[in-house]
Amino acid sequence: MRCEQAGEMMSERLDGRLNSAAIGLLDAHLTECTACRAEWQRLQALDSLLSSAPLVRAPLRLRVQVMSRLERRDQARRTIVGGAALALGTIALALLVWAPAILGLLDVTGMAPALLSGGPETVAQLLAFLETTGRAALVLVEQFAIPLAFLSLCGLGTALALNTLWVGAVWRTRALQ
Amino acid sequence: MTTTNENETEWIQLAREGDQAAFGRLVGAYQTPVYNLAYRMLGNAAEAEEAAQETFLRAYKYLHSYDPKRPFSSWLLSIASNYCIDRLRRRRITWLPFQDELAAPVHVTSSPGNPEAIVERHEQKEEIQRLLEALSPTDRAAVTLRYWYDYSYEEIAENLDLTVSAIKSRLYRARRTLADMMEGGTDNAL
Repeated sequence: MRCEQAGEMMSERLDGRLNSAAIGLLDAHLTECTACRAEWQRLQALDSLLSSAPLVRAPLRLRVQVMSRLERRDQARRTIVGGAALALGTIALALLVWAPAILGLLDVTGMAPALLSGGPETVAQLLAFLETTGRAALVLVEQFAIPLAFLSLCGLGTALALNTLWVGAVWRTRALQ
Repeated sequence: MTTTNENETEWIQLAREGDQAAFGRLVGAYQTPVYNLAYRMLGNAAEAEEAAQETFLRAYKYLHSYDPKRPFSSWLLSIASNYCIDRLRRRRITWLPFQDELAAPVHVTSSPGNPEAIVERHEQKEEIQRLLEALSPTDRAAVTLRYWYDYSYEEIAENLDLTVSAIKSRLYRARRTLADMMEGGTDNAL
C-alpha cells in the first residue's frame, strides 16, 4: 500500500467509512510505516479536537431580528405595489380623459404623420389603426351631434369607474397576502 | 441530521401561505444550527449573525421552491453554506485580518461551568476558528458539515454540489492542512 493511499484511508476511517478488511490492511501498513503512524496520530488528535467542539449558540435576538427584517421587507414591497397601482391608475385616468384632445392636437399640428414615419413599421401600423378608429368615432360623434362636453363627462365617468375597480383589485390582492 | 417532523411540515406549509408566525417558529427551531454553520465558516460573531439573518430571509423568499421530500434542515443549511462560501470569496477581495476579527467579543455558550472551564472552551473555540481559517471556503464547509452536523459524504456532496469522491479528497486534504496548522500552533506555543 502506498502512503498516499493510506492517508486517504485514514481520513475515511475517521468518518467510519472503512470495512473491517480495509481497516486490517491499513493497520498492517501502519505497523510497517513510521511516517504514516505519526500521521495517523496527528489526524486522530485533530479529530478529537473537532469532535469535542459544541455548536455555537445563536444570540437570543436573532429570531426577533429576522422577523423584523421580514416585516420591513414586506412593508416596502406593499408600498411599491401600492405606489405602482396608484401611478398606473392615475395614468390610465389621464389618458382616458385627455385622449380625444391629444389626438385632435396631433392632427391639427401635423405631428402625427411625422411621429409615425420615424417608428418601426408595426408600431406605425398599429397607431394608424388607432388613428383611423379614433376618426371613425369622431365622425360618429359628429353624425349624432353629441356635445363634446357630454363625451368628456362620459370618458371621465368611465375612467373613474375603471380606476375604482383597479384600486379595489389591488386592495383585495394585498388582503390575500 | 434531523428529518422533517409533523409540526415542522405544518409550519412550512403555513409559512408558504404567507404565515410569518409559522416561519418564526422555523427560525426558532433552526437558528442555532444555521448560526453555528455561519460562525464556523466566517469566523466572527457579527458576520455570522448577519449571514444567519440573510439565510432565513432567503429561505422565506424561496420557500415555494423547497421540495418537501428533502429534509428542511438540509435545504436550509445548503442556503447558509452557499451564502457563506460566496461571502468568503468576496472577502478575499476586501481582505480583513482574521485575528482582528477574533478580537471582537464572540458569544460564549451560557452553559454552566467554572471560569477556568469557560476560558478553556473559549480558547478551544478560537483555536478551532484559527485552524478553519487555513482552509478554502468549500473545504471549510465540508469540514463543518462533517463535524458539526454529522453529514455523510453523500449529504455533503449534495449540499455543496460536488461528487462524493471530490468530498473524500477534500476532507483528506483539509485534515492534513488542519493537522499541519495544529502542529505548527503547538510548536509555536512551546
